[in-house]
Amino acid sequence: MVTALQLALNGLALGAAYALVALGFVLVLNATGAVNFAQGDLVMAGGYGAAALVALLPVPGLVLLPVVMGAMALLGLVVSALAFFPLMRRPATAVFVSTIAIGLVLQNGALALFGPEPRTAPPAWNSEPLRWGELALSSQALAVVVIAALLVLGQGWLLARTRLGRDLRATAQDREMAAALGIHVNAMIALSFALAAALAGAAGTLLANQFFVTPTAGSALILKAYIAVVIGGWGSLAGAVAGALLVGLFETVVAAAVSYTAASALLYGALLVILLLRPQGLFGEAASRRA
Amino acid sequence: MTLTAEPSSPARGLGGDALWTILILAGLGTYAGSLASPYGLRVLTLAGCQALLVLGYQFVFGHAGALSLAQGAFFGLGAYTTAILATRYRWDFALTYPLSILVPLAVAAIVAIPALRLASHYFALATLGLAQVALLVAVNGGDWTGGALGLTGVPGIAVLGEVVRRGLPLAAVVWGVVALGAWASWRFAHGLTGVAYVVLRSDPIAAAAIGLDERRLRFTAFLLSAAYAGAAGALQAHTIGVVSSETLEFSVMVTCLAMTVIGGSTRIAGALIGALLLTFLPEWLRFLQGYALLAYGAALLAMIIVAPEGIAGILGDRFVRRRRAVELPSSEPVPLRGSKSATLEARSLKKSFGGVVALDGVDLVIEPGEILGLIGPNGSGKTTLANVISGLVPPDGGVLRLGSRGLLRLSAERIARAGVSRGFQTPALPPSLSALELVALARASATGKIGFLASLRGSDAGRRRRRFEAEALDLLGKVGLTAEADRSCGALPTRLAWRVEVARALALDPGLIILDEPAAGLGEHEQSELGAVLRDIASRGIAVLVIEHNMPFLLPTANRIVVLDQGRVIAKGRPGEVVRDSAVIASYLGREKIGA
Amino acid sequence: MSEALLAIDGLGVAVRGAATLDGVSLTVGEGEVVALLGANGAGKSTLLKAIMGLLPSRGAIRLGGAEINRLAPARRARSGLGYVPEGRRLFPGMSVRDTLLVGSRASGRRAAEHLAGVLELFPDLRSRLAIPAWQLSGGQQQMLAIGRALMGAPRLLLLDEPSLGLAPMLVDELLARMRGLAAAGVGVLLAEQSVARALGVASRVYALAQGRIVAQGPAAELRRSPVLERAFLGADVALSSPSRISQPESDR
Repeated sequence: MVTALQLALNGLALGAAYALVALGFVLVLNATGAVNFAQGDLVMAGGYGAAALVALLPVPGLVLLPVVMGAMALLGLVVSALAFFPLMRRPATAVFVSTIAIGLVLQNGALALFGPEPRTAPPAWNSEPLRWGELALSSQALAVVVIAALLVLGQGWLLARTRLGRDLRATAQDREMAAALGIHVNAMIALSFALAAALAGAAGTLLANQFFVTPTAGSALILKAYIAVVIGGWGSLAGAVAGALLVGLFETVVAAAVSYTAASALLYGALLVILLLRPQGLFGEAASRRA
Repeated sequence: MTLTAEPSSPARGLGGDALWTILILAGLGTYAGSLASPYGLRVLTLAGCQALLVLGYQFVFGHAGALSLAQGAFFGLGAYTTAILATRYRWDFALTYPLSILVPLAVAAIVAIPALRLASHYFALATLGLAQVALLVAVNGGDWTGGALGLTGVPGIAVLGEVVRRGLPLAAVVWGVVALGAWASWRFAHGLTGVAYVVLRSDPIAAAAIGLDERRLRFTAFLLSAAYAGAAGALQAHTIGVVSSETLEFSVMVTCLAMTVIGGSTRIAGALIGALLLTFLPEWLRFLQGYALLAYGAALLAMIIVAPEGIAGILGDRFVRRRRAVELPSSEPVPLRGSKSATLEARSLKKSFGGVVALDGVDLVIEPGEILGLIGPNGSGKTTLANVISGLVPPDGGVLRLGSRGLLRLSAERIARAGVSRGFQTPALPPSLSALELVALARASATGKIGFLASLRGSDAGRRRRRFEAEALDLLGKVGLTAEADRSCGALPTRLAWRVEVARALALDPGLIILDEPAAGLGEHEQSELGAVLRDIASRGIAVLVIEHNMPFLLPTANRIVVLDQGRVIAKGRPGEVVRDSAVIASYLGREKIGA
Repeated sequence: MSEALLAIDGLGVAVRGAATLDGVSLTVGEGEVVALLGANGAGKSTLLKAIMGLLPSRGAIRLGGAEINRLAPARRARSGLGYVPEGRRLFPGMSVRDTLLVGSRASGRRAAEHLAGVLELFPDLRSRLAIPAWQLSGGQQQMLAIGRALMGAPRLLLLDEPSLGLAPMLVDELLARMRGLAAAGVGVLLAEQSVARALGVASRVYALAQGRIVAQGPAAELRRSPVLERAFLGADVALSSPSRISQPESDR
């Protein structure tokens, strides 16, 4: 019973971190129609950022979080400048390739700077497990869930209730019309990239404590984000979060019950099956017709 | 790969691509024969394997324009097939090599059928998933795959009992295979099949209108890429002697992608340049060893932004002899018999989009050899009707027949072949093709001479291609465009573009041609020329359905007119009568309230 | 003569060498409703899009005396142009309230004032503020689209075929409110296929055919003449009649 609870919490924590990745992915997708293949590598960059910072500032992860997010937001702007804006008038698949290139640069840049040894980021507050009667729950997992939830809610609030959020949504849904209403769409797009990168950075900081960060950690992540988005419905923010939680839970439970490999295999298998049978995802609208 | 808004033009004639390729191969031969060290030869051999891989990738990524991320997986499949069969079962090269090609081919065939239906993001994702599954299987394959350490002891290539020695002989064999693959690729790309793929990736709707089977073309490209990848993987297995799960890692895929984009995604020389460059550079610049992938990433990014056609694109098609239309001995008359012409009958056609009713029970009859005008205010359903008749949109109900043949469940390209040819509102002409090429392609497609096998046999090249081009010239002559036949479609002003569109529609030897606002943007003189062309077409027994707003043009040209309003036919008859019909006037001017 | 609110001189739009619009000149005064007539394909939507900057164009466009030809659409919107496109182009998932607020570039309090104004003009929307746009009826959607444009407090409103797909009675109501707008000083340039409707609400009319202005004048006069009928259905579009009504606007 206790281990089941711990397992569920771990699964939720993993899923919560995935949710941050998937959310950023969908933000950019909606704003630009393009796939940001480097989203996973941005998470990795965030993890390394946190790991590097803690060497200079030995503070809990919670304190590092805003710093990392801020730096990542700037990185997001750079990515949009390099990989998106020069290719704005090209077909969307060109951006797919350019972000693959960015991912490559990020991965190997990390390898060059930090070497192949895994690094960790500091825990969110402390490493003491929370005790409650017989239960001892990992405080890190709890922290991840709480922080991720706050970020997701925060981002949801931003989009739903602020003027900036409205402008972002309008840009995402109809760029030309948004411009005709006076919205500076390029700024909105750049902002979407910055937000996505900031969320990725948060995910990286949170994940890098329990799961060591390596330069190639991003590759697996992008696939998980993809799966989450496909499950939840391509382009749906809420769906991405729901899908991510499902993926995290599934992965954790199966990995504990059988093996990590089995979990991965089943996930990829499920992805292929969903894609081939119901590409619009479990919640999304039909989006698979060839344009 | 649609990396650019306008895809590159296919090289014409014995073009720069072949010349550069021969130059490169000759240069390699010289290097291998006299200058190379044993280590250099080994690198050269490995570069050859990569070149073959990239050549394969060009089919799906460059020509078909689909972002497949499974190329590395097929490469690994080929390598593992060879390794397993050779080390476990000690099968001969003569057996293992073909199987190393067939296994990826089979996997690709199975995956392709559902995957190719997906839009581009999903397709990339599905192929990525496939690659990940392959990697997982390799790492966890136990004794079969050697797990993470892989299989060792893969023998060299044995031909007729003799093992090909490492060094120059092995390099020669590998590059011999590359040359073979390059030859097949060249036939594919430089005949009319290559032109077909240009249209396919720049405008799928125009492709259907020409009668090209989009799915078959994509399927073929995907399978070819897998076959080449398998062949390359097997060769690498023989060269290195070891196959491990590293072969299936994403870095192999990304390197292939980088080589393709940097070298050039549709040119043979591009594949060679990309492979050679990205294999040799890390060797020459040893101090950059660890940074190789970083450099690839940066180079890939730079290339996509600055030179999406790759290095081969920059080198361009120098020394190209473009075959000019005037060099053709004579035009080959296309007897437009209107042999497919029959009465088109539509009854009770219905179509709704969401909650909006576009067609509400439309009855229509078009007789052979008549020019029928279709008019009506905005939103009356004219374009929907044209789309339904030409098969782009399936109706919700009703009957549609051409003669005795039902058209309802046929795809757009089948309907095109059945005799209903469609011209589009803004001519969707591929900008980089010349008028001659486009119409020649339509002719070839009409006679089924497009495809990989056709290109190998040469059915779409050489003498036969010249015949198609001669026929195209005749068709262009019928629409008065002989002088401009060589101009690229992108450079044609609208007042000439309509002619290409009509010629293209005629290329299928149709029974019925549908033209959507052909007079748009034309001056008075052009309009009367258009009218003359249409009358000429009709006199050959071909029916013409013209959707128009331009009354001064339409009224003298059409034999009969049908008026649509809100999805229903509200009048039909001779032009003069229809225009004076009070219901028609009311629908156009909305005078029912004022009570004119 | 005071500068008109909108003055267009020699506007041309070309698509691949073909002139979709050629030498179009027109004016809209403050508080005036001006109608653009023409069959579709004549260039009405193209003209409105060009004014909004969504299509590249040659020629001069002046709003309130200032040239806006080189401005991007967003800047034109902020200079006082409101745009209601053909087919409305509402943001699918957005609530009525959010859709309206998106139209405003003003800060909280001013935006709230504009919102109140729009809701007074279209009270039907007041009870539907939380409902997503796609669930509204056609007429309500059109009101929402117009309201969204009005939230930016434009000086000139570009309306592209608002009557498309709407019941006649609704359309009349809508157009009546446009007249109310004009009375408040907003200029309205209305592209409309239904000649009768347009003549009912506009004070002046321009008729477009094949990208050119073929007739113009006060609505009252054109209503009685056969010029328009000929322009749309007749074989003799080349109007040779010397009447003042049918003379295209000559250079000043």
